[in-house]
Amino acid sequence: MDHIRNFSIIAHIDHGKSTLADRILGLTGLVTARDQREQYLDRMDIERERGITIKAQSVRIPYKARDGKTYILNLIDTPGHVDFSYEVSRSLAACEGALLVVDATQGVEAQTLANVYLALDNDLEIIPVLNKIDLPSSDVARVKLEIEEAIGLDCAKAVPVSAKTGENVDEVLERIVTDLPPPRGDPDKPLKALIFDSWYDSYQGVVVLFRIFDGRVRRGQKIMMYSSKAVFEVSKLGVFSPDAKDVSDLGAGEVGFLCATMKNLQDARVGDTITDPLKPTTDPFPGFKKVKPMVFSGLYPVEPAEYEPLKIALEKLQLNDSAFTYEPEVSRALGFGFRCGFLGLLHMEIIQERLEREFQAKLIVTAPSVIYRVETTKGEVFDIDNPSKLPEPQAIASLAEPYAKLEIHVPNEYIGGVLKLCEERRGLQKDMRYLTSTRVIITYEVPFAEVVYDFFDKLKSTTRGYASMDYEIIDFRPSNLVKLDILINGEPVDALSTIVHKDKAPYIGRNLALRLKREIPRQLYEVVVQAAIGNKIIARERTPPLRKDVTAKCYGGDITRKRKLLEKQKEGKKRMKKMGNVEIPQEAFLAALKAGEE
Amino acid sequence: MLLYVHVPFCRAKCAYCAFASQPLDASDIEPYLEGLAAEAAHFSRALFRPAMDTVFIGGGTPSLLPDWALERLVSTLRRHFELPKGIEFTLEANPDSADLPKLGALRELGVNRLSLGVQSLNDRTLALLGRPHTAAQAVAAVSAARLAGFKNLSLDFIWGLPGMRPAAWLKQLKTVVEELKPEHLSCYNLTLEPGTPLAAAADAGSLPLPSDDEDARSFLYGSRFLSERGYLHYEISNFARMGFACRHNQGYWQGRDYLGLGPSAVSTIDHIRRENPKTLTSWLSSIDASRFDSHTETLDPATRLREYVMLSLRTSRGLSLAAYRSLAGRPFTTGRAAMLKVLREHNLIRLTKDTLRLTADGMLVSNTIISRLLDADLPQD
Repeated sequence: MDHIRNFSIIAHIDHGKSTLADRILGLTGLVTARDQREQYLDRMDIERERGITIKAQSVRIPYKARDGKTYILNLIDTPGHVDFSYEVSRSLAACEGALLVVDATQGVEAQTLANVYLALDNDLEIIPVLNKIDLPSSDVARVKLEIEEAIGLDCAKAVPVSAKTGENVDEVLERIVTDLPPPRGDPDKPLKALIFDSWYDSYQGVVVLFRIFDGRVRRGQKIMMYSSKAVFEVSKLGVFSPDAKDVSDLGAGEVGFLCATMKNLQDARVGDTITDPLKPTTDPFPGFKKVKPMVFSGLYPVEPAEYEPLKIALEKLQLNDSAFTYEPEVSRALGFGFRCGFLGLLHMEIIQERLEREFQAKLIVTAPSVIYRVETTKGEVFDIDNPSKLPEPQAIASLAEPYAKLEIHVPNEYIGGVLKLCEERRGLQKDMRYLTSTRVIITYEVPFAEVVYDFFDKLKSTTRGYASMDYEIIDFRPSNLVKLDILINGEPVDALSTIVHKDKAPYIGRNLALRLKREIPRQLYEVVVQAAIGNKIIARERTPPLRKDVTAKCYGGDITRKRKLLEKQKEGKKRMKKMGNVEIPQEAFLAALKAGEE
Repeated sequence: MLLYVHVPFCRAKCAYCAFASQPLDASDIEPYLEGLAAEAAHFSRALFRPAMDTVFIGGGTPSLLPDWALERLVSTLRRHFELPKGIEFTLEANPDSADLPKLGALRELGVNRLSLGVQSLNDRTLALLGRPHTAAQAVAAVSAARLAGFKNLSLDFIWGLPGMRPAAWLKQLKTVVEELKPEHLSCYNLTLEPGTPLAAAADAGSLPLPSDDEDARSFLYGSRFLSERGYLHYEISNFARMGFACRHNQGYWQGRDYLGLGPSAVSTIDHIRRENPKTLTSWLSSIDASRFDSHTETLDPATRLREYVMLSLRTSRGLSLAAYRSLAGRPFTTGRAAMLKVLREHNLIRLTKDTLRLTADGMLVSNTIISRLLDADLPQD
């Protein structure tokens, strides 16, 4: 076990985590120049395009150190976004150490800090790595000071590198061997392994990534999931190095993958403990929880005929993403579709993008909603994930909404803008402290609905991109909330209903009506958009009918071209939904998302 | 069958024009006439010297051709096709090339319908459009046409021109009807064709174009005014006194076969649409190589059905529900009942038990209506 090092790389987005991983794979000869590609460990197209990691990966790297011995370095690549903080925490729990990559031109950011805290919670040894020293704007001394002040991490032995040029990356490898502890564990104790990721592969079935703490696992052996007590037989056991290699057994301290007779991803939940059904461990890995989606939105096929294909696509997607949920729902406006649950907004965008890309599903997505907790006058308490499920106002005793604790890192010249934004979003200031003389951490408790509605984009524009943010959901609090309905030519459009704070309702109603008016193209008839709370109309916008759309000349030489023009108009209508006489483009359904803005 | 001949020459390119035309160079006339003769000979053979029901010589500016060239052109047509006595024989002319001797010569050749491109009676507007004539020249050309004996005179106008509000358009129509007294009027809404100088000026925002609402009023008031003065609004852009609707153009909207000769001309015969090369040079080289079908499109029954819907709804005669049913094998109302109801409620269509027609309001938004109606005939993805 002394020759094993399990580590991960933690960093704020864009600080160079994937580049450093690429460089390590290249330097150790694991990935030859021929196979080299950027973000080697990110397997999905979306990951590479967006420059983020969504799924965890592990790779086993043989490394001949300067002491002449060969070590096995297991790099566990973690997802890099706040929506996936539980997955990150499980990946970190599988390691003894972590490289903390900080961009030496930027300094400590919100996710740096959030990830460091997760690493410290898991008792990880941390090696600070200051990246991008090839850039003239890098300031190693300042950033070292910032890390020491902000995190209390000794930076005397921090390694300055350029992952881009490869400068000093060999030193990082050496320090992994010398500074990170080898795994501890007892190969003779009952099997205890932590699942830190799992996915569905159409050939292999469920693939489980795990780290063994005690005991051994062999191909053909029976294993048991601690939480469900379900028993499976290991049909395939292996390591990624970087391609899958079969092995017959793995012992304490090692990282690998297995396939067993599992049918679906729910059989192998991230954070669960794998043990031996004959000799179960008495000491399962702590902190297992089922992740719950926090943001919900409706996904509807543009063409009704696409309902079944969409359902199949959602099923397939869920095989790979147990945090994502869906159930059928019916909207009067949009027809048959699905209510889908996501960890956060990024997760939602990713799922939407994957559906459109991998499954070619054309979608209409309704404005995201959080969960609301309803207490009725009869004393029932239940949660709703869709504004249209809200009972009539007279039946509601109280309504509560989730609150999130936000930590925002920002240069001090933007404090004013951030405070203003947080106050506008009904936030309660909890703390504000200086990280350094110029950088501040602002802590707020903000209704999560306000965060979902475009908060992050707003924060970025207010601070010219200098702010970074981390959040966690803390609790539900009663609020003065009302349901805002939208009527188009007198017909309520359920898919456009939102739950908003009463004080903001008139403003949001006016804004939403105006945005809809702008989004809905002129039609053959007048279109009237109204916003209403209960029976009270709070805003009205009118689009006059289309007045002129005529082809002046259509003689023998024009017929083909004119016909094609008229046929082509159908293309443009594909993403429209018909509501009575009115055709509503899908953008309109997202207008609600931005209605809170000026 | 209808016969169309395209004459690709103009004195100058107008600022709004995207048609195939080029400045007249005397040395181009001979090759053009030879090409036309070869093309006519080919189709005469291929179609067994068909009889034509109408002849339409358009352009470009056919009246720019010298008399000898026009004479040769017409005799070529007579040599290769049967042109029965009394058929409608139209030629397009511009006021600056339509003096009495020229018009007399045209009469001699058998032209019995003259289509004059007047476009506007405002000299500033004519200058803006790049027209090579004045309003006075147009008025003189109309008188000359009458003197020459033309009893079927059509005038082209454009509405929606820069600075032209509904009142100005109506005033001009009044002058036209009371002083020029044409048998036929074509009133085209200004179309900004991409790539033309006028479109570029509009993009740059330097044109005082009327709003859509003003244009709509120009159209509706104009239509009503002309109807009151005895002009039937028989197609979106065309008005005629009783008996003077253009038979040639009506043939297009009725889906009849037509043969087109000359650069950029299009033919549709037996469900095959053939498009000639656009420029004189490319057309001539095709003819030299005896390629008479370089660009063809076969109209399948579904396409024919869509063209029937599109073209018939442009006209006052409208779409015959019986004709649709026999073409499509299903009633027109199938899958469209709800839409028809709404269109009717908004006074955009008139639907009787035999016919569907667009109202004047409907004609103004006919692209939207027709494309909506076509959806039911388009394959679902």
